[in-house]
Amino acid sequence: MMKKRYYTCLFAGEAGYGVMSAGSIIAKGANRNGLWSFLVNEYPSLIQGGLNSCLVRLADQSLSSYEETLDFLGLFSQQGFDYYADKLNPGAIVLYDPATTQVDESKVPEGTLLYPVSLTSFVPKGGAKIMINSAMLGSFCALTGYPKNVVIDVIKNEFHNAKIQQENIKILEEVYEHIVSSLPSQNVFPFTFHKHAEPKILINGNEAISIAAIQAGCKFSAGYPMTPGSSVLSYLADHGRDYGLVFKQAEDEIAAINMLIGASFTGVRSIGSTSGGGFALMVEALGFAAMAEVPVVMVNAQRGGPSTGLPTRTAQADLNFVVYASQGEFPRIVLAPGDIEECFYETFRVFNLADKYQVPCIILTDKYLADSSVSHPLFATGHLTIDRGKRFEENVDRQEPYLRYQNTPDGISTRAFPGQVGGRHIATSYTHGEDGFYSSGNKEYALNEPTVTKESMDKLYNKLPSMEKDIPAIKFYGPSEADVTIIAWGSTKGAILEAMEQAAIEGICVNFLQVLYISPFPATAVEPILQKAKKTLLIEGNKTGQLGGILAAHTGYKANHSFFKYNSRAFVPSEILAKIKEVLL
Amino acid sequence: MSAHDINLSYVPTWCAGCGNYGIINALKKALTSLNLDLEQTVLATGIGCASKISQYVNTYRIETLHGRSLPVATGVKLANHNLTVIAEGGDGDGMGLGMGHFIHTARRNLDITYFIHNNQIYGLTKGQTSPTSDLGAVTKFTPAPLGNVEQPINIVKMALNAGATFVARGFVGNSAQLISLMAEAIKHPGFAVVDILQPCVTFNHVNTYPWYQQRVKVIDNMEGYDPTSLDKALFFAGLWGEQIPIGLYYRTIRPTYHESLPQLSEQSLMQQKIDNVDITGLMKELY
Ligand SMILES: Cc1ncc(C[n+]2csc(CCOP(=O)(O)OP(=O)(O)O)c2C)c(N)n1
Ligand code: SF4
Ligand SMILES: [Mg+2]
Repeated sequence: MMKKRYYTCLFAGEAGYGVMSAGSIIAKGANRNGLWSFLVNEYPSLIQGGLNSCLVRLADQSLSSYEETLDFLGLFSQQGFDYYADKLNPGAIVLYDPATTQVDESKVPEGTLLYPVSLTSFVPKGGAKIMINSAMLGSFCALTGYPKNVVIDVIKNEFHNAKIQQENIKILEEVYEHIVSSLPSQNVFPFTFHKHAEPKILINGNEAISIAAIQAGCKFSAGYPMTPGSSVLSYLADHGRDYGLVFKQAEDEIAAINMLIGASFTGVRSIGSTSGGGFALMVEALGFAAMAEVPVVMVNAQRGGPSTGLPTRTAQADLNFVVYASQGEFPRIVLAPGDIEECFYETFRVFNLADKYQVPCIILTDKYLADSSVSHPLFATGHLTIDRGKRFEENVDRQEPYLRYQNTPDGISTRAFPGQVGGRHIATSYTHGEDGFYSSGNKEYALNEPTVTKESMDKLYNKLPSMEKDIPAIKFYGPSEADVTIIAWGSTKGAILEAMEQAAIEGICVNFLQVLYISPFPATAVEPILQKAKKTLLIEGNKTGQLGGILAAHTGYKANHSFFKYNSRAFVPSEILAKIKEVLL
Repeated sequence: MSAHDINLSYVPTWCAGCGNYGIINALKKALTSLNLDLEQTVLATGIGCASKISQYVNTYRIETLHGRSLPVATGVKLANHNLTVIAEGGDGDGMGLGMGHFIHTARRNLDITYFIHNNQIYGLTKGQTSPTSDLGAVTKFTPAPLGNVEQPINIVKMALNAGATFVARGFVGNSAQLISLMAEAIKHPGFAVVDILQPCVTFNHVNTYPWYQQRVKVIDNMEGYDPTSLDKALFFAGLWGEQIPIGLYYRTIRPTYHESLPQLSEQSLMQQKIDNVDITGLMKELY
């Protein structure tokens, strides 16, 4: 196996300089011309100032993660230098504006190429501050050899206002000429661009989930803004309209989930999105959805916690919360997608599962997966089919009363939607019998309450066997026998897969059990893998090893080693590889 | 079973003499008088004595959580705006946990009818202060001698200020008027609120049938009455004491929420086909 080549550039500066937009233009240009991009944004929770950064890793093969080792550092601020100076690769290029940034040469590795360029001087008097990023892009192209025309094409595409487009391109060209004529070009950019490459998308997790929802025929969304969950809502508010979808901004998250329940009860597929704090407010209604057997799909994009925590940083610490949150007991589906592919296809599946099993479904992601953009082939959709589960058949002449919650061997009864003739019933948050009637609200029922209570709880749990058969809850990567078996969930997947590739090159044999659906927990599926494992390494983005706890509760298995990261940043392959080696010592 | 069959066989569990009996009779009569297709009608209630009304009326029904009937009703209405949607619950349910939803549903002017059974007490939890309990009210949570020291919420005033487009107050002891107010409210295109004065015979020994009977006054006959004027409506809403006006306070027409959404101009969300959605355009944007 050949070691992959990468080129990583990072732009850093205060909010307002267009750091993200510079990065995304580079990533898009590469993505359109046969290369693969992986883009990670880091930003604090504030509107002005602070340190924003946008890292773009490029390769000529697909990418599943990033490393903070930089070949190019473009600086708009001092903070950017101070934070990233020690993350430079040998021979890296550092471009900075001496007006904003002082570079201390003793802080950078030997051989680093430092280029002071007065970026600000290229922005015309009275021009918007953000245009400085065009000066940055012009310098980037001139110094690295990344084709200028690729950048210009993207700018033409992104800026629809012709005047703004021209102003930016003019700045870019001027800086480019200035540098080419005055400084030695490095021409270090290692990849060739292919103009007529197969088209790919550059997409983040929240976009993939939103598009999957649209593909799944979701027509209603309601929510309240909370980073990093909000961008699902704004995507649906914006793009959903063309697909007839209604997005309703609610007064709070409690209202949001109750609106979703109302729409879903009426028969419309519905999705919400939030982060831990908002999910906390939704918990009572989650139980209501379970009790009334109204399917809802809810995204929880995790951020740092507890409480307000770290609004814009990643974490994997809500797993226990979403798996167990409830008063009383009820089955639910918890999907933890690990990459863009799963954000799209598994979200589509979850809509079907929600309708089939009439249970609340939670899609658990995190800031890193939600917000990082990755090159991905177009989604093939021809094979996707919609399954709305057991439906009530309208029948004008029916004699027997309709039982919304009829007991069946698989626990699933037919759903009637308001407006259907003969399907009138009550859906309720109270414990109820087959007709939906409150277990102690009526004389006959009162006598039978213990029976009705048990039967109604058993009905919910009778769904589990078919759910377990139906849900592809785990994925397994690598050889069936290995020196180390990694156990992990969610967005750690990408870094683990890359670490495994590197391990293989170094002759270390690693395999990986990904728990994709954490509820219902796939105990029978994981057991044979764990039995075979020589050494296991549990990797999670939290302090206490929450998946490890759930695994132990269901199987009695305790992982031999663990690697928990809870410093507000995502895992990178190199640290996982180092941990693998440590485990094998 | 015909689409107009409104009765169910279940027997309500309210206390003998409870005002809720009068309200359910009025609701059934109002629905019947409108000749509504009950298969196309959804009743969403909260939790409380009042909210149990959904257990006894033969429409599509969803008995939600304490305080949450309005957001659920909102979801129902937006999913299928061809349905008649009614939300209902107690004063605690609506003015306590549900207050935020009440204000926002009103300003949005969703085409939902909201009946509040206002007994000025928490009935189902056996007699605590409600947001509408009068000053001095002695309850389990505000015992004598002090009683309740908080200014009560006046539901009519609140509805008017929040932007409800139909605002009325009824009294369960005046069933003819209550039936017609409820029917008018259901017919009204927009958010229609009826504050229904309802004695709780078990836990509220102050605001009793005679207490109300002595005070309620049909608003139509009061001097200066003009239900097209918000100022007049607010003036009458301020009367709570020796005189309590009952009847229609205010009615106006404003575009409803669903009418303002172009997605819903041709068909409801429920009527849309959902297979074969083509996402090619969305992917192209991401090249
Ligand atoms: C979240 C939550 N908190 C508290 C309760 C308990 N609870 C049930 S009904 C009720 C108050 C009922 O008062 P009101 O809404 O005025 O209805 P009434 O019984 O008077 O008709 C309360 C506090 C609950 N069911 N859910
Ligand atoms: S407690 Fe009051 S409101 Fe509840 S049923 Fe009895 S009388 Fe009616
Ligand atoms: Mg009450």
